[in-house]
Amino acid sequence: MMACHFLRALFRIQQTSTSSSSSGRSRRIRRAAYASMAYSAGTRRAWSRALLRKLRSRARLRFPRRLSRAATPQRRDMDQAQVLRKLVPGGPSMDDCKLLEETADYIRCLTTQVRLMQTVMDSISS
Amino acid sequence: MSFSARLYHPEMEKEAFWGLNWQSTDAKVPQELNSGTAAAALLPQRLLNLNWNQPMSCDAGFESALSSAVVGQTGSICNSGEISPSSRRRSASNSCYSSPLNSPPKLNGRGALPMPINPMPGAHSVPFAAEPWFADGAAMLSNYGGGSSASFPGPFGLPVIPANLSRVSSSKSLKTGTGSGMGAPEKGSDAGMLGPARMEMEMMSKLGGSSTPADSEPCNGQEESSVSSLRGVTDSNARKRKAAARGKGKEASLSYAATDPFTMTEEENSDAKRSKPAEANGKMKTEQNGDPGRKQSPEPPKDYIHVRARRGQATDAHSLAERVRREKISKRMKFLQDLVPGCNKVTGKAVMLDEIINYVQSLQRQVEFLSMKLATLNPQLDNMESILSKDMFQARGLIPQPVYPAEMTSAAVSNVHQPQATPGQSIVTSLLEAQFSLNPLESSLHQSQSLQLVPLDGFTVASSQLGEFWEDDLHSVAQVGYGQDQKPAFSSQSYPGHMKIEL
Repeated sequence: MMACHFLRALFRIQQTSTSSSSSGRSRRIRRAAYASMAYSAGTRRAWSRALLRKLRSRARLRFPRRLSRAATPQRRDMDQAQVLRKLVPGGPSMDDCKLLEETADYIRCLTTQVRLMQTVMDSISS
Repeated sequence: MSFSARLYHPEMEKEAFWGLNWQSTDAKVPQELNSGTAAAALLPQRLLNLNWNQPMSCDAGFESALSSAVVGQTGSICNSGEISPSSRRRSASNSCYSSPLNSPPKLNGRGALPMPINPMPGAHSVPFAAEPWFADGAAMLSNYGGGSSASFPGPFGLPVIPANLSRVSSSKSLKTGTGSGMGAPEKGSDAGMLGPARMEMEMMSKLGGSSTPADSEPCNGQEESSVSSLRGVTDSNARKRKAAARGKGKEASLSYAATDPFTMTEEENSDAKRSKPAEANGKMKTEQNGDPGRKQSPEPPKDYIHVRARRGQATDAHSLAERVRREKISKRMKFLQDLVPGCNKVTGKAVMLDEIINYVQSLQRQVEFLSMKLATLNPQLDNMESILSKDMFQARGLIPQPVYPAEMTSAAVSNVHQPQATPGQSIVTSLLEAQFSLNPLESSLHQSQSLQLVPLDGFTVASSQLGEFWEDDLHSVAQVGYGQDQKPAFSSQSYPGHMKIEL
């Protein structure tokens, strides 16, 4: 399902934004990737719900800034929880226990998405 | 002694049983109980079989056993006495619950353990973990206790569990009152086995040993103890021992104490389950605690999650809740450890969390990177078209896991269906092998139509979900697909079908 959605979105992006900038397209593609992730997870997960909310509101997906947080020198448990909350969509509104659960599901979805994108890329480039 | 050996053995079974049922629903227990009560005669048998490999003839010997502080005997006695209490069990009420518990201590004076034990005819076989059961047992106990000590000889056949409950309360009282040497043999027993058997033994010894001031204890206490015993069967074992150790006498107190905290927690737990009276628990605790100056005062955890307190751990409500929370978190951390590669050897929450954070960040970075690459790498439109459709199939075949069973099923369905016969078959195989060409692609599209019907029912939920999230993009995509398809007829039909199926 995720593949279907993503590929369709990709196709659409391809169709509609042939002339747009590469970064704009990459943003769109990234958004499509997260959207397909969220769709595949449905409303069962808190993170997917938060993600969908973000998508629906047309707000830019808050992708984690590159390692800005990772650079923080101090990483104690409380900070880690904070960092994790920022990473996982919908994180701030969860307690630790739920956060870990959502993180697990989010990781799973992310790996799926990454693999899918890699496959698409391979097939495209082949 | 052989007695204790016998006791422990059933205890072990019970332990395992409890462990099994620990997480299980309470329904299990009540059923067992009911079944037990249904056939009063069965109860003692069950008890005997399950918990005590001792003869039922303990009744007669119970009193003597009591006096002799032979734990095993008490267990058997409980079994025999079950019959009467079984009927009472049904009508148990929480209030009554505690009474039976109290009675055991009282029995001590009378030397009649059966009273408290009777209430729980089926309890013996039933795992403590089931609170409802426990409640029943407690009720029975209470009924029993309410009945009066006179019925002492009969009801005593309560299953071990009730005995445990009563033991707890009695143990408490006993502890305070007399430190009968019952605890000695118990101590030797395994911690695991200690459980109910131990409790009973303790009670028995206590009862026989001295009149327990448990009478003073309100029914609540009994209930609580029974409840807690239900809850923390396994814990209680550990706790009992611990408690006993902490308690006054070594042997007796050890066993008693173990039961007490155990029962207390159990009671509390079961209470919580039933009525969740946090304060009641606290009350019970205090009662129990205040009784004989027991050191342990397991605070009744408010939640009714069965918590297995380990030896040496505090039994506060707070600490128990903390422990539950910690266990949940550790469980999730373990799961995350499996997800994040290379985390098997990592130990420690902080390091684990670091790894998790790194992994999530790296994944997100990968997504960004790949999206950039895809944006720059996008080939021409025509190519994309075929590639996309090809990719869709390919992705499904190549990524079975993420693409969920839907796709596999659809592939399987197509295999089964294959209305298009050869082309469909070839498509299916190609799908699975991730080898596509335009022709098979078209036929696969064609195929998808047939596929839609079959997997639809399986995917209706998904499709409905999808429909929920169906944004304009998707529609546009579908339309694009329609326009792009070389076989519009197919595409128009296949795309929706695809979408549904893939969902």
